[in-house]
Amino acid sequence: MNMQSFKRSAASLSSVNVKVCTRCIYDERVSAISFDEEGVCNYCHQIDSLVEQYGTGLDKGNSQFQDIVSEIKQAGKGKKYDCVIGVSGGTDSSYMVYLAKEWGLRPLAVHYDNTWNSAIATQNIRKVLTALDVDLYTHVVDNKEADDIFRSFFFADVAEIEASTDLGLAETLYRAASKYKVKYVLEGHSFITEGISPVGRNYFDGKYIKSIHQKFGRRSMKSYPLMTFANFMRWTIFGRIKKIRPFWYIDYNKEEARSFLEENYDWEYYGGHHLENRMTAFFHSVYAPEKFNSDFRNNTLAALARNGMLSREEAWAEYNQPPHAEPDLVEYFIKRLGLTDDEYRMVMAHPPKSWTEYPTYKKRFEMLRPIFFSLAKANLVPMSFYLKYCFPIKEQS
Amino acid sequence: MLRTRVIPTLLLRNESLVKTVKFGKFTYIGDPCNTVRIFNELEVDELMFLDITATKENREPNYALLKDIATECFMPLSYGGAVRTVEQARKILNIGFEKVCVNSAAIDDISLISEISNEFGSQAVIASIDYKNSLLGKPVVVRGSNQKSTGKSVDAWAKELETAGAGEILLTSVDREGTWGGFDIYMIKRVSNSLSVPLIAQGGAGGVSDIGEVVNVGNASAVALGSLVVFQKKGMGVLVNFPNETEFEGVFK
Amino acid sequence: MITIVDYGLGNFGSIKNMFKRIGVAAEIQSDLDAIDQATKILLPGVGKFDAAMSRINESGLREILERKALVEKVPVLGICLGMQLLTKGSEEGVLDGLGWIDAHARHFQAEKNLKVPHMGWNLVKSANPNHLIDHLPDESRFYFVHSYYVQVAKQENSLLKTTYGHEFDSGIVAENIFGVQFHPEKSHKFGLALFKQFAEL
Repeated sequence: MNMQSFKRSAASLSSVNVKVCTRCIYDERVSAISFDEEGVCNYCHQIDSLVEQYGTGLDKGNSQFQDIVSEIKQAGKGKKYDCVIGVSGGTDSSYMVYLAKEWGLRPLAVHYDNTWNSAIATQNIRKVLTALDVDLYTHVVDNKEADDIFRSFFFADVAEIEASTDLGLAETLYRAASKYKVKYVLEGHSFITEGISPVGRNYFDGKYIKSIHQKFGRRSMKSYPLMTFANFMRWTIFGRIKKIRPFWYIDYNKEEARSFLEENYDWEYYGGHHLENRMTAFFHSVYAPEKFNSDFRNNTLAALARNGMLSREEAWAEYNQPPHAEPDLVEYFIKRLGLTDDEYRMVMAHPPKSWTEYPTYKKRFEMLRPIFFSLAKANLVPMSFYLKYCFPIKEQS
Repeated sequence: MLRTRVIPTLLLRNESLVKTVKFGKFTYIGDPCNTVRIFNELEVDELMFLDITATKENREPNYALLKDIATECFMPLSYGGAVRTVEQARKILNIGFEKVCVNSAAIDDISLISEISNEFGSQAVIASIDYKNSLLGKPVVVRGSNQKSTGKSVDAWAKELETAGAGEILLTSVDREGTWGGFDIYMIKRVSNSLSVPLIAQGGAGGVSDIGEVVNVGNASAVALGSLVVFQKKGMGVLVNFPNETEFEGVFK
Repeated sequence: MITIVDYGLGNFGSIKNMFKRIGVAAEIQSDLDAIDQATKILLPGVGKFDAAMSRINESGLREILERKALVEKVPVLGICLGMQLLTKGSEEGVLDGLGWIDAHARHFQAEKNLKVPHMGWNLVKSANPNHLIDHLPDESRFYFVHSYYVQVAKQENSLLKTTYGHEFDSGIVAENIFGVQFHPEKSHKFGLALFKQFAEL
């Protein structure tokens, strides 16, 4: 069923004819979803068990986190910084920098610049870091290389056009940590406010990027920070750089964080349409909905419904509004990637391919599951990585 | 009252923006048009683009890229980089740039300055001088990205360029470029005082106070900024920025 | 739709883009019939006075512009040299200007600390209330680059004033006809505000 027509006919939850989770708003079209007798989906259960495991917002979580903070301070003695924080100009990362200072840490802010940043992102980063007196480490990729990689993904017909940005940030965080001998990376991910991405969606690893680039790329990869498997092992097993997600342990209210940033740093909200980066905006408001019938807002909306911050009806109604897109976005995308209008239309009309059709490290991650389990327990990889990457797709539940 | 001009200088290397230190090692800064958009938002008063490999590679300016830049930009623009003929200047000005910046070509043949000036007006020509201290500590004009000494004295050369019709002189200290260590105030003051056309000082800005000093003490009419507008701070990461209005308050006397 | 008149002198890319940025349709036109249909006219200009005037006189453009401005009274905005063309004449040339506003252009006298041309960002202040400029922020500044300045004969034709050495008219007006000495298309947010106002007249 076509996404757009489905949406037009299903604005109200009561009249819809797909099965929808009774707690959040993921419906049967979400990959690898299943429902229990009460109609609650497996993703809700997954989140519930994470909450229990980490004690999010409870004494258990708070005290666990305080222990982690002490560890970070201890490990950082005598060094210039004791942790690194990836910043994008967005709410979570900006607020995380503030919190880190509150906790008495000495963070280094890290940014991966895919050269499509908007002024808002750049200014937000500047305002927050200047006010908090935090240094910034940046890796800027050669813009033509970045565009070549984006173009490769476009011609590969896969959904993960932002894979290079996501992985580029992950690798840059590690490189920055390694340079300054820092052992802790703080990330602003919150499974409460964002949910866990369903498996099969937004897959990325270094081999995936490399193989697509090898097939469709026209420029060599020189300045792009690729996280090869070797690098991944280097940073985690040998470098023992840990990834900590504070919002898995402590309470976090995104709206309050936003108001705080606006009032104290003149930080600007870029809207829910990812206007902080033009590629992200293109991905969310044009590429994913039009070619892949896929709308990432349901991650956040489902999460809000799941923990009662939004009623299911409101979440569903908002999900069924078409995503908003800046008018020049497509034109900009076409121009930067050196496409013609016809090429763009043609590729957008190609049938979508899945990441499973290209070489990736997935099988290797599955084979090394026990290793990744211990890495996850030691916070050397996030638990969500383990859950998402180390199980064959059919097995996941 | 005419505002003091503070001009970010962006270096083009092929189709990327970069920043160099002492004209040597470079770092990627970003995409030219995307960065111009950011400067539009920051309401910067003027921008200068210099193509740093065009002369060495003996090629034409990248007109297609310049056109993209010009259409994105809602403020005055200057371009420098392998401008060797009046025709090239014409093309660049027609694309939407206000001024061309001429360096090596003038050293090779100073009449180019007069030709462009007569055709388009002196305000369309910036004559650019790069200088460094010789081994004996004497400042000398250098040419090209490998900074070959020309044997010319800075003061004399600046005067010659002014007489030839340059509307402005851009004076860059190669030694101070990318160092954040402050401008070469005495040199700037000496040259500025000897000229009747405006002098743009470049090389060494570390902060707003340096900008103030080179204008108030050095008598520069305008200031070009490099590292300051593309890095968060000395030694740290790339972050396109520009001091905001309040930071400039009270700086210029 | 704003019709940007192309009489062969000037670069219109930035002007057109600025209108695009504020969501206003604008087209560059050199075709006389198309200009004849215009509902709003923008007259840009860069270069020498006589060169501009002779092109306008010899191409048949003059008659059309006169009818549009003086009879049909469509809004007209002259920019930089385009503003100077609206006057009776300039010291820069020998030809008469369009003469729609009683004013003259004279050369700035180079003085010790006054460099010519007047080049850079300078402040403007309102001389007479007018829809075109009333919404501009206080301390509006614009980018100027010119060697000749305009002074109106009657104060009622003065729209904006700027000081460079002495005060001069940086904006002039006569009913539906406007001129600005500066370059709105190079004056980022201030230019955007001015163009927006012109589009809404």
